[in-house]
Amino acid sequence: MFCEKAVELVRELHRMSDGQLPAFNEDGIRQVLEEMKALYEQNQSDVNEAKTEGKSELIPSIKFRHCCLLRNQRCITAYLYDRLLRIRALRWEYGSVLPTTIRFHMCAEEVEWFNQYKKSLASYMRSLGGEEGLDITQDMKPPKSLYIEVRCLKDHGEFEIDDGTVILLKKNSQHFLPRWKCEQLIRQGVLEHVIS
Amino acid sequence: MFVTDIRKEFYDIVVNQRVVLLVSLDIDALCACKILQALFHCDQVQYTLVPVTGWENLGTAFLEHKEQYQYFVLINCGANVDLLETLQPEEDSIFFICDTHRPVDVVNIYNDTQIKLLIKQDDDLGVPSYEDIFHDDEDEDEEGNRDDSGNESDGGAEPSGKRRRFDEAALERRIERQRARREWEARRREILFDYEQYEYHGTSAAMFMFELAWVMTKDTKDMLWWSIIGLTDQWVHDKITHMKYVTDIVALQRHVSRHNHRNEDEENSLSIDCIRISFEYDLRLALYQHWSLYESICNSCYTSCNFKLWSINGQKKLQEFLADMGLPLKQVRQKFNSMDISVKENLREVIEESSNKFGMKDIRVQTFSVHFGFKNRFLASDVVHAAAALLENVEKEECATDNFIKALDCLSRSNIERLHVGIDLAKKKLKAIQQTVASCICTNLLLSQGPFLYCHLLEGTPDVKLFSKPLALSLLCKYLLKAFVCSTRNKRCKVLPLIMAAPRDVDKGTVIVLGIPPESETSDKKNFFGRAFEKAAESTSSRALHDHFDTSIIELKMEDRSKFLDALITLLS
Repeated sequence: MFCEKAVELVRELHRMSDGQLPAFNEDGIRQVLEEMKALYEQNQSDVNEAKTEGKSELIPSIKFRHCCLLRNQRCITAYLYDRLLRIRALRWEYGSVLPTTIRFHMCAEEVEWFNQYKKSLASYMRSLGGEEGLDITQDMKPPKSLYIEVRCLKDHGEFEIDDGTVILLKKNSQHFLPRWKCEQLIRQGVLEHVIS
Repeated sequence: MFVTDIRKEFYDIVVNQRVVLLVSLDIDALCACKILQALFHCDQVQYTLVPVTGWENLGTAFLEHKEQYQYFVLINCGANVDLLETLQPEEDSIFFICDTHRPVDVVNIYNDTQIKLLIKQDDDLGVPSYEDIFHDDEDEDEEGNRDDSGNESDGGAEPSGKRRRFDEAALERRIERQRARREWEARRREILFDYEQYEYHGTSAAMFMFELAWVMTKDTKDMLWWSIIGLTDQWVHDKITHMKYVTDIVALQRHVSRHNHRNEDEENSLSIDCIRISFEYDLRLALYQHWSLYESICNSCYTSCNFKLWSINGQKKLQEFLADMGLPLKQVRQKFNSMDISVKENLREVIEESSNKFGMKDIRVQTFSVHFGFKNRFLASDVVHAAAALLENVEKEECATDNFIKALDCLSRSNIERLHVGIDLAKKKLKAIQQTVASCICTNLLLSQGPFLYCHLLEGTPDVKLFSKPLALSLLCKYLLKAFVCSTRNKRCKVLPLIMAAPRDVDKGTVIVLGIPPESETSDKKNFFGRAFEKAAESTSSRALHDHFDTSIIELKMEDRSKFLDALITLLS
């Protein structure tokens, strides 16, 4: 049946939930495009025939093929657009450097699109917040406080923060530090966020 | 130098800087630290909190942080010793000291640049005046020499007779000056000796920090509760006199009523989960609302000593007391919360009436309690006992800083489970203290050595590990002395101070030695053992470690114990 391959593409994307990006189905797209080409050529010849010989019984099949073409187009654009939305979300989740596994799943044009998106996001962020710009990809919601209290769980030695000052992280000492500097160490298990 | 305007001279300076908080290990310091932390959180002051166990620890912590930090805040440590001498800091390090230990070292008081004392200038400080102790003596000498040399050179042109007279005059002047100098030095030594002889404690650090918060109108009920706990800690561990305690309670009572009237009125009453602090004239029974009444009476110092519960007569008296109040034994042995409402109704008044008959006039004491939620109701002394038990927990072989963190946590309202754990530990500790006191009295372990009483806890004593920590040992000391005073018939022994020794570290073979002043109604809690211990250790060259911030607590090698004691006896007789 016509358009089945196109729906297959959409279904494949629908199956991968949570914004995961499956590999770019080059093959599938090619098949759909070939099907569209075949339908179009058939339509072309039938239209010519209908015009010249006045065979009006060909019109329904022309209409039918036209609908199939439109449906294929719609499925393919949906597939491509959904992938782009997922790639955009990846920028917010992973940052500007994507892991190689994911990059293999993108086709060349998608990579190109991702780079352009990165550039426009960066120039936007630079335009915010005065001279230095504001990194809005840090927190999805506005944070409750800029500084958090952390407790040191093991001896980590010296730790440098943004303005160059060095803090000695010894076991059981507590510190009140900027949130973004601590997140890395909290993930590693060296610091513990204290909620009082 | 003393800080006069707390806000301008302390807070406004540190608010834009990064600070190191060095906190000593006692509950008052923990409370002050919590209040200061809350203020720093409001104003986003970056700080580092380091607990310190003694002078050595303080020194190491300072060395580690002195490169990166310029401002140090010391809580309940550092005032009673020349800090600049001990730590040898750079020119730009500034220390803010909020300490209850008195007397404050004179160098700390008169240093204008690096040391700022966050201490109220009470009447009881008694600081000697500057001229009496510091003397700009270089100028004097130079002046003297210049005079003499001037005279000599002048005298050179004169005939010899006159010169001899001039020389004599110059010599006399010099002798006079030297004599005046020696007199001044002798007077200085005397003044300093009197000033530094007795060790005592001043106003709670937590109350000082609360006042800072109040001056900035950033005070909350939580901070008020912490300052109440800080004051109660001083009273529970017998650091301040009863008069001072009552005066400070009155001061805090004003704050409590101010906070209570702010929120409660007809239209908007507080939800049950909000914190409510109320003044109570409550019983002096430790942890009685979290225990059974019977257990609490048996294990509280005041009741146990007055009944003499280690003797059979004492037990009988206790039964009489309970009968007099009309409380059935079954009720009294039950958990307090499960007692009948009819029994609990006028409990305090009933107990007060009966205790008056049995000779206990002060069974009730002014204190505060806190409510939040339906189940949570605590008296200030409950929290003090729980936090102290957590701070000195020996059950799990954890280091002092781990326990510090746990005790600090239990003071927040969101960590109620930890507070309950602390209360259980405190119950065990009180029971252990009671049993040790009973066994010491019954086996006459407390001996009079002449100028003082002495007790030594042997290694095999049950729960002796608990008493290797200073707070627990000081509680034990206090109870033991009270019990002894109640039980002995020897009038002379009743006014003697007590020295106690308990094993501290079995591997290193050290004991912890602690001295407390004599027990009396009007005692001013001034302790002279600090200087005495120092002198005795020096004269016998015993291997003693004066590491604790309270100078009356030292660590001593087991073998040096006897010669140390002998030196003390000779010193104090």
